[in-house]
Amino acid sequence: MKKITGMVSMTMLLAGLLAPASFAADRLKVVAALPNLGAIAQEVGGDRVEITTIASGLQDAHFVDPKPSFIVKLRSADLLLVNGLDLEIGWIPPLTQGARNAKILPGGPGYVDCSARVGVMEVPTGALSRAQGDVHPFGNPHYLTDPINAEVAAAEIADAFKTAAPADADYFEKRRADFVRRLQTALFGQELVDQVGGSKLFRLAQSGELDAFLRTAVDGKPLSARVGGWLGRMAPYAGTKVVTYHKDYSYFARRFALDVQDFVEPKPGIPPSLKHIEELSARLSQGDVKMIITRPYIEHRSTDQLSERTKVPVVTLPLEVGGAPEATDYFKLFDLVTGQIASTLAAGGTGR
Amino acid sequence: MTRLHSAGRQTARALVAAVALGATVAAAAAFAAPAMAEETAPADPNSGAVAQLRQEIEALKAQLQALQDKLEAMAKAQLPEPTAQEPAPVAPRAAASAGNVFNPAISAVFQGIGDMSVNHNRDEDGFALSEAEIGLQAVVDPYARVDLFVAFSAEGEAEVEEGYATFQTLPAGLQAKAGRFKSAFGKWNQLHNHAFFTVERPEVLSSFFGEESLTDDGASLSWLIPGTGSAYIESVSEVGSTPNDVSFNARRRDLLYLQRLSSVFTLTPNATLEIGGSGAFGRGGPSETLLAAIDDAGLTGVVEPATSLTSNVFGADLTFKWKPVQFNVYRSATWQTEALQSIRRVEDLDPTGVLVRRTVRSVGGYTYAEYQFAKRWRTGVRLDYTEFPDDDRARVHGASGIVRVQPTEFQEFRLQFKHTGRNDLAAARFDDTRTDNEFLIEWIPVIGAHAAHKY
Repeated sequence: MKKITGMVSMTMLLAGLLAPASFAADRLKVVAALPNLGAIAQEVGGDRVEITTIASGLQDAHFVDPKPSFIVKLRSADLLLVNGLDLEIGWIPPLTQGARNAKILPGGPGYVDCSARVGVMEVPTGALSRAQGDVHPFGNPHYLTDPINAEVAAAEIADAFKTAAPADADYFEKRRADFVRRLQTALFGQELVDQVGGSKLFRLAQSGELDAFLRTAVDGKPLSARVGGWLGRMAPYAGTKVVTYHKDYSYFARRFALDVQDFVEPKPGIPPSLKHIEELSARLSQGDVKMIITRPYIEHRSTDQLSERTKVPVVTLPLEVGGAPEATDYFKLFDLVTGQIASTLAAGGTGR
Repeated sequence: MTRLHSAGRQTARALVAAVALGATVAAAAAFAAPAMAEETAPADPNSGAVAQLRQEIEALKAQLQALQDKLEAMAKAQLPEPTAQEPAPVAPRAAASAGNVFNPAISAVFQGIGDMSVNHNRDEDGFALSEAEIGLQAVVDPYARVDLFVAFSAEGEAEVEEGYATFQTLPAGLQAKAGRFKSAFGKWNQLHNHAFFTVERPEVLSSFFGEESLTDDGASLSWLIPGTGSAYIESVSEVGSTPNDVSFNARRRDLLYLQRLSSVFTLTPNATLEIGGSGAFGRGGPSETLLAAIDDAGLTGVVEPATSLTSNVFGADLTFKWKPVQFNVYRSATWQTEALQSIRRVEDLDPTGVLVRRTVRSVGGYTYAEYQFAKRWRTGVRLDYTEFPDDDRARVHGASGIVRVQPTEFQEFRLQFKHTGRNDLAAARFDDTRTDNEFLIEWIPVIGAHAAHKY
């Protein structure tokens, strides 16, 4: 009898010792396809989630290698966060098919398509063919270049977290709300958020009515004079004409009022021919385009050549968190991007 | 179901009872009210007071109406952004008509091959549509998916190249396949022809398995071995009948058993190393050389060769891949090597016309190295050596150089130069051709939704 009591108490002692370890194991295991999704998931999930990100921020999200080490990560994952809109079509299917984890297969409870509630731009209409290059049949997938869509994705991610770990629902909701509050302040500036309210600004921005609203005069001056944050920093350059390498800045350009005139790629995914470079040089030599935007993972030869010929500056901007040493989270990514665009344009005069 | 029904019935009964009761009460009240009014109206002597009350009620009614109007106006005024309250309109996805939604993803690949020998006139020289492949891929239900590839040869024959169901929701890290599939023997054997590194397969695979990949009609169980931390270790076990007519040319009921164990190590974020070992355990029948020898000796029908003797093939493979994460579209390198050994019981016809059994141990292998030096350009070198499963003295060596150009992911051009050398015994199997130098050219376009290839 004594022996049994001893064993029971030993077991209880062991269980007590193991408890912190098992608590750590209870954290939601989340795999994010892309760094921006991983960064937003970290904001929402805090220390109740364990996040693994597949792609590197320095990498082209269209062409990630489906290495078996990621299959191992997905095997025990509770949730897989994907950008969706077929951006990862070339590498997520081989990973989910190899993972032997029914939860994270498309249609499973752990497969989270973060684009589900996003208002998608450039959904192709009419006949689709690959003659148009790497065209995305569901629309432009680079929606996280607009911070407004980070709020939309955060809601999707928070809902997935709450469903997967209902006990922590309040925690996730608190963190989501806090992330959204900081995001709105960073985008619109503290003064405007205090005066109008972040959620109202978010709704107006989402429905495309923000510009009209900001023209409203309050106390003798328009609200637009109170815009701060990333929008305030970019406001002096509204309407500036730019050229981007790939068609990955449509959402950013719409939010920050840049006018994308052309692309270095003649068609999405097709590298520029000499003829296209010639035509683009002629276009850039007209002088109204103020900047060429490229990415860290793109060859620099064609953009350098264009810049040398036309004196239009090239800026290499990260698209994802981790795409530059300073871009360690979603906020710092936009601090860096808007800062670099503003300083380049300030040096070269305003767009208009 | 029945319990649900009876519960519903009980609720319905209660409802009926309540409604009946309510209706009775209401009817009684309705009959009673006019009766009471009739009774009271003529009896009321003070009609002036009633009129006053009516007036007051009317005034109150008007006030109420005014308040209601005001409230409505206020409510309207408080909704300045009716659209903003709604979540952003989600763009319509996939404009597919309802009838096509569940159709499989369809793809087509074909290979146009040109082959020209420098030092011989051969029948196979010239251009040919070597193979066209139609792929149909879809999820069957929550438990399985199907991949079906039908290949059409240059001669116009259709053949199921692969057609299998994969069961993806098994527990314990297991995944099962059933149907016809390329055996998980080594690396190259599992590739479809259009996904080869070079125009044709390595000599050792042609020699050991023939001009088609080693294929199984059966079942496969793959296990991702758990508890290995971040290491990827996979075990594949297969059993089935094989249509192979070289190493495993026995009867169809002589099953082929296969076991593969492989592991992929991530050396750096830019480099991986895969190490694998495979074993195929089956039965072989008489080789073509033996049948020819019996025929030459005029002993056909007199000497009966054994139709089912032990035939095992073992393989080891090593694949190194380098892809710089930041510029993986522009630069990469692959080095893949496979070594195979066949251990097989064979029969020889001795000069006295008697069949003598012995064990043949043959080896073979290839090594292929490739470097991608621009987004669209790759160049590679392959070295080959092989013996034959039924004759380890017949030997072939080869060396190839190839340039691969991919204008997009959906199209590829290849130009390969290949040198082949054979000793006398091997040359006897190839129209006494001891050396061959040839140019191969290939064009591979892919259309449709061809699923992404494995790493």
